[in-house]
Amino acid sequence: MCAQTETLDTEPDHDATTISLDGLTKRYGDVTANDAVSFDVGAGEIFGYLGPNGAGKTTTIRLLLGLIKPTSGSAAVLGADIRDRRALTAVKANIGYLPDSLGFEERQTGRQVLDYFARMRGDERREELLELFHPPLDKRVETYSHGNKRMLGIVQAFMHDPDLAILDEPTSGLDPLKQDRMHAFLEEERDAGKTIFFSSHVLSEVQRVCDRVGIIRNGGLVALEDVDDLLKRSGKRVRVQLAEPVDESAFVTSEMIDVEIIDATVRFTYTGKPAELLEYLVQFAVEDVDISDPQLDDIFKHYYGDDSPSGAG
Amino acid sequence: MGSKPESDSSDARQAAKSDTRSAIDGAAMAILRIESGKRVRSSVVLVVVFALLAAMYFAMFPSIQEEAELLEDAFPAVFFDMFGIEALHTIEGFIAAEIYSFFWIVLVGIYFAYVGAGMIAKDVDERKMDLTLSNPVSRESVVLQKIAALWLPLVVLNVGVGGIVLLGGIIIGEPLDPVAVTMVHLLSIPYLLVCGAIGLLISVVIDHVRTARATALTVVFVLWLVEGVSRLDEDYEWIGAVGPSRYYDETAILVREEYAFADAGILLAVFLVLLVLAVLLFTRRDI
Repeated sequence: MCAQTETLDTEPDHDATTISLDGLTKRYGDVTANDAVSFDVGAGEIFGYLGPNGAGKTTTIRLLLGLIKPTSGSAAVLGADIRDRRALTAVKANIGYLPDSLGFEERQTGRQVLDYFARMRGDERREELLELFHPPLDKRVETYSHGNKRMLGIVQAFMHDPDLAILDEPTSGLDPLKQDRMHAFLEEERDAGKTIFFSSHVLSEVQRVCDRVGIIRNGGLVALEDVDDLLKRSGKRVRVQLAEPVDESAFVTSEMIDVEIIDATVRFTYTGKPAELLEYLVQFAVEDVDISDPQLDDIFKHYYGDDSPSGAG
Repeated sequence: MGSKPESDSSDARQAAKSDTRSAIDGAAMAILRIESGKRVRSSVVLVVVFALLAAMYFAMFPSIQEEAELLEDAFPAVFFDMFGIEALHTIEGFIAAEIYSFFWIVLVGIYFAYVGAGMIAKDVDERKMDLTLSNPVSRESVVLQKIAALWLPLVVLNVGVGGIVLLGGIIIGEPLDPVAVTMVHLLSIPYLLVCGAIGLLISVVIDHVRTARATALTVVFVLWLVEGVSRLDEDYEWIGAVGPSRYYDETAILVREEYAFADAGILLAVFLVLLVLAVLLFTRRDI
């Protein structure tokens, strides 16, 4: 049953696999940073790699770029085996990378930094990108804010027009306007046939832009599915403030789980349709409603069990 | 790969590959360029330091010359043996002792070790190496470009300090032999490269840049000290063979015009061995 779903999931992308992980494992002594992670990313999709901080997202990315070596298992990026240094180096001309922590030459200006990367792999799209993201190019990088550094990172990652972009927490530090701009940009790139591998610990962000999502926890892949499916299963976190205390049996429906009632405040996760929830609430004396995305940890707890990861798909 | 032919995407990829070929050629120089630029300021500062030292010593020389014998009596012989000092009453011996036997060998040697120790460790520490290696550039190339960037301090320091020494001699009316001064610099290049490669090797092994630098400085300084002290006792002189300064004798070059090309060859060979070792270790490790 499980195997069948997996075949169905990966079949359409099989001919144009951009990234393919096969039992990728990285151990540091007793710590397993990546535990037999397997999944494929097809050409022309935005793949979200979701997990709480410290789950092993950056480890996977650094393995894919050959910065660290796998303990076992393997992966291929743009057809190059990550254990084949020469092949991997060659395809890097066609990869854009935005690391989680941006190590630029601090003494150089933004322009000099871009010139440096341009000499490495080209910059045919530099001007176009600088219209969307504009770090102060004439100032030294050491004076940059988080957001400016991130924008410089985005420009260097995309200015050589790579077929594959690997982005590690790409929007952290960006203001909401720039985040929206980034999301729109990624969608355009996807529509132009580019592949985006996107790591994040923010569920809502992944929901908004990604087509498919892999969820990693404690180094293991716990889920691999379409974002729409994930949304259906994850539900919404709801807090309802009522005018007066309510009886649990009179209020709770089968779509509400993880219910917590304190005096006149009810908190729960709603797994049904939002519209139905609103219709249902009308019959109560509601003073305030707050509906938000659930925390990643809640999703893990409810949908993938609280114990060790159940393995890929 | 896939069962169905995907000619469209593979054609596009092929085209992209040839487009980026020129970029890959540029990558062969980009690191060398940026690394060389980083060495300009410190090299110039060192030349200025040497200019001040030279001004002081050349100004002192006429009065020292008269008292050279007194000076030689005043210090114990071990002092001169240790530093390889002789013929202090000649400008060649004096400059070899004051400028080259300590400041050039120790100060510049330590500078090269310091720079070498920062080459890899600093970039790994600051996560710069992640970005560097996301480019189509091999690890071998990264190391070689970084060590090649030592050309800048080598040229600036040797030309600058050599010129200052020649000029100083002319100014005080005690001109030095230009060939000997050229050789004292030329033959010091293998020595400085070894210092740099010691730093580089440590840089590849130790991740924390401060630890790497401190270790490199200590190693180069201790090797110099061991070599100097070992000269004091013939029974232990062989121990000093591990010190690179054993293979560079500034006094012999300036005073006696003896050019030990074989010793320079040994240093170059050691440099290459250290470099190959550093490259091998760096290509095999996680960053």
